[in-house]
Amino acid sequence: MKKLVRKQQSTFHHWGRIGALRIHSFSVVSLCLLCFSCPLAWAQQLAISAATLHTVSSSGTIQDGVVLIENGKITQIGSAADITVPDGYERLTSDTVTPGFIDAHSVVGLAGWYNVLADQDQDETTAPNQAELRAIDGFNPSEPLLAYLLQHGVTVIQAGPGRSNPIGGQAGIFKTHGSTVEAMTLRFPSAMIFTLGEVPKKTYGERKQTPMTRMGTAALIRQALLGAQSYAKQWQDYASSADEASADEVSGDEASVDEVSADEVSENKDHKAPDRDLKKEALAAVVQGELPALFTVHREDDILTALRIAKEFNLTLLLDAVTEGYLVAPEIRQAGVPVIVHPSMQRISSLETSNTSLENATILADAGIRIALQSGFESYVPKTRIVLFEAAIAMVNGLGFERALRAITLDAAQVLGIDARVGSLEAGKDADLVLFDGDPFEYTSHVQTVILDGQVVYQRPLVSP
Amino acid sequence: MKGFLARCLIFAILFATLFIPSIPWGVTEIAASEEPQAPVLEEPQAPVLEELQGSTFVLKGATLYTVTNGIVPNGILVVQDGKIVAVGPSSEVTVPDGAVVRDVSGKVILPGLVDTHSHLGVYPHPRVPANADGNETTGPVQSVMRALDAIYPSDPGIRMAQAGGITTVNIMPGSGNAVGGQTAYVKLHGRTIEDMLIHKDGIQGGMKMANGENPKRAYASRKQAPATRMAVAALQRQLFIRAQNHQKKWDAYAEKKEEDETAKPPDPNIALDPVIEILQGKRTVHFHTHRADDIMTAIRLAEEFQFPLVLQHVSEGYKVADEIARRNIPCSVIVLDAPGGKPEAVEMALRNAAVLEKAGVKVAFHTDDPITDSRFFLRMAALAVRAGMSEAAALRALTIHAAEMLDLQDRIGSLEAGKDADLVVLSGPPFSVYSHVLATYIEGEKVFDRSRPSDIRYATGGFAVADRYPARQKTQ
Repeated sequence: MKKLVRKQQSTFHHWGRIGALRIHSFSVVSLCLLCFSCPLAWAQQLAISAATLHTVSSSGTIQDGVVLIENGKITQIGSAADITVPDGYERLTSDTVTPGFIDAHSVVGLAGWYNVLADQDQDETTAPNQAELRAIDGFNPSEPLLAYLLQHGVTVIQAGPGRSNPIGGQAGIFKTHGSTVEAMTLRFPSAMIFTLGEVPKKTYGERKQTPMTRMGTAALIRQALLGAQSYAKQWQDYASSADEASADEVSGDEASVDEVSADEVSENKDHKAPDRDLKKEALAAVVQGELPALFTVHREDDILTALRIAKEFNLTLLLDAVTEGYLVAPEIRQAGVPVIVHPSMQRISSLETSNTSLENATILADAGIRIALQSGFESYVPKTRIVLFEAAIAMVNGLGFERALRAITLDAAQVLGIDARVGSLEAGKDADLVLFDGDPFEYTSHVQTVILDGQVVYQRPLVSP
Repeated sequence: MKGFLARCLIFAILFATLFIPSIPWGVTEIAASEEPQAPVLEEPQAPVLEELQGSTFVLKGATLYTVTNGIVPNGILVVQDGKIVAVGPSSEVTVPDGAVVRDVSGKVILPGLVDTHSHLGVYPHPRVPANADGNETTGPVQSVMRALDAIYPSDPGIRMAQAGGITTVNIMPGSGNAVGGQTAYVKLHGRTIEDMLIHKDGIQGGMKMANGENPKRAYASRKQAPATRMAVAALQRQLFIRAQNHQKKWDAYAEKKEEDETAKPPDPNIALDPVIEILQGKRTVHFHTHRADDIMTAIRLAEEFQFPLVLQHVSEGYKVADEIARRNIPCSVIVLDAPGGKPEAVEMALRNAAVLEKAGVKVAFHTDDPITDSRFFLRMAALAVRAGMSEAAALRALTIHAAEMLDLQDRIGSLEAGKDADLVVLSGPPFSVYSHVLATYIEGEKVFDRSRPSDIRYATGGFAVADRYPARQKTQ
């Protein structure tokens, strides 16, 4: 089982990002402006100078700083006084520079901006357990909202199935620029999406199908996880019996035993492999703790239900949305679970979001809970939120500048387990940077340039988009 | 279902408990300050600015954004009986004898914000189907409907809007119908809709119309008209023709009555009478329209029937800005964080307001609450500034231009002597993320005070959990 999961992950992990030269555009007008007024740079070697450089690392904020970039990675960062820019580097200067922003949970790429059936691929509402669904099979690299996020400095999103099903399917972590999902994938799968509360029971309850109640949703999830446990055990039993058999055949050559794949073993007539089941296979990775379980929950009791189920099945839990988290912060803190907090300005369009507070991120962070921010899901206009804007509102509602910036950079990367690659400006990390003409969180500041994997992928046109 | 009902009940009780102390606070607190008795319905801690509940008070030292007479640093603003009686620099305005003076140095005062398109009270919190009263989608032409018959004055959204600095609102039916119904121009104060209405009788608002995809949505699936944009326009044109025919009966009656005292007047027609008011130029059509071709359709109808028109949303206005400017048609635009969510909104652009401003169009903003939460109305204008609109135009859009679109410019929309004392006190510049609304006044009555525990949760959210809301060290 473990082998299967690793195999799947590695397929997408090592594709590499070629970074095709593609700029999504909202209209012919902006496309023309981009083409004629702002030729994009594709230099392999870049030097970025900033009056204020927010590294979001142990280097803190550097006044008059420089970042050197080569082949998509940051090679050096520090004070301008300490760094000599080598010959041949293309130079860009900026007032303020931050790491690229990470949107820890979105449906952009799956939920298109037209919001018609033809471009909505996030909610497979044909059955409540959709564990086998993969975000990569519905992710549209040409979705214009991806380019829109990019224009606001968002370089990484975790995107996955929506919230209509108790078990939605597998999310992935993607860069926001690229021509194929393979080229954009930073990690797949990154999490299994679960949803409690109003939406699943509304989806199925109206059809008089399970779940119609919160009890039904919890029972359905527990039943599925139980099934996954026994499935995992079947494969473990099979693997260990196959190992024994192989050990007999190969007579003690342990190195080659490790090389034997499940498929090869299945040819052994005495040890028949269990039938593969895509649903159970995906959930087996969850109950084995290999794939995080992301639970979207709003109401306080739903939050505690997620904690209860996670404890029962020893899941690697990511709490998501957590609208009433400020009412149960001690319980979340005690469970040691990170929270991907709902967008500050999420539309209060349901009972379970009625108690949305702009201070939620602050209260959770004050309680010692690691938080990230997200754009969440919007069912109408605007079709997505922007974590840059959400962090700004959280900032002025008690979170403060440093924590707000971390919530959409390094903390988000740590919550998602991708901090070795992104989230801060440090040598060796991906060269994802956002150049501003002022305070990144001020309403009237502008994103001037976005650099993703060392390439200039957006420059502000003369007329705003 | 029981759990759901119980939850509704809990909400209702929580809302009720929150509202009860808020209704008479203006009166009780003055009484408390004059008579040193044990406080009865007092707030847990003394609110700032509370002494200003008297009939005459002065706000001194703030930067006054008058809108019509520039920005006055270190200004004085004198309020008497709900009206502004003097406004200007400290050096020029004298403080009346006996007036209560409050030093608000370092703060910023704007005129109360005017929202030209909102659904407050017709889609109240909590957002359950039982509360949704915006769209009577049982027929596409509903000129007979009045928003005022569905507005819930205890909607917590109204207090959230006060927390956002909004004082005057055009509350409209939704856009699910070609003709949605009669809108209501209200102040966000009072216990009843009668208190809230600005015009206590006569014509109390405008008329909501809509084109584009929304009016098609409810009917096309039922195989009823309108299934196309053509039918939306045809239905609207037919209504105006019917109103013209109805008017002819009145004209004939007037003529006949001169000769025959016993002449019988036409039967009253509550669906067509408001449309006649439109044709007479007394009632404004607020026209929901997004796509450029839909904008031009609304204009085409206005030119055919010569009615007063305010374009609402105008998402692709930047494509036809010169056409709009040439005809002097005012536009109330909505600025959202991102485009999309429906086909007619995918080409929505942050720069829309800036482009319209530069073309010379009179621009206002609107929340379309619940589309934009009313607490973020100032932020909407700030996003327009981000995309190139001038700060001065953005400020006019939030105040005087919006007032003009509701024909209320003589009463509201600027800090001028004689106008209603509708004020917003900010902690800093209007278009900065770091600024908070500290207090909101309507006709001299303070309806929101950020320092007051009963009010702060309408700014932050969390009002329904009441005293379960965790205490924080500072609430900025």
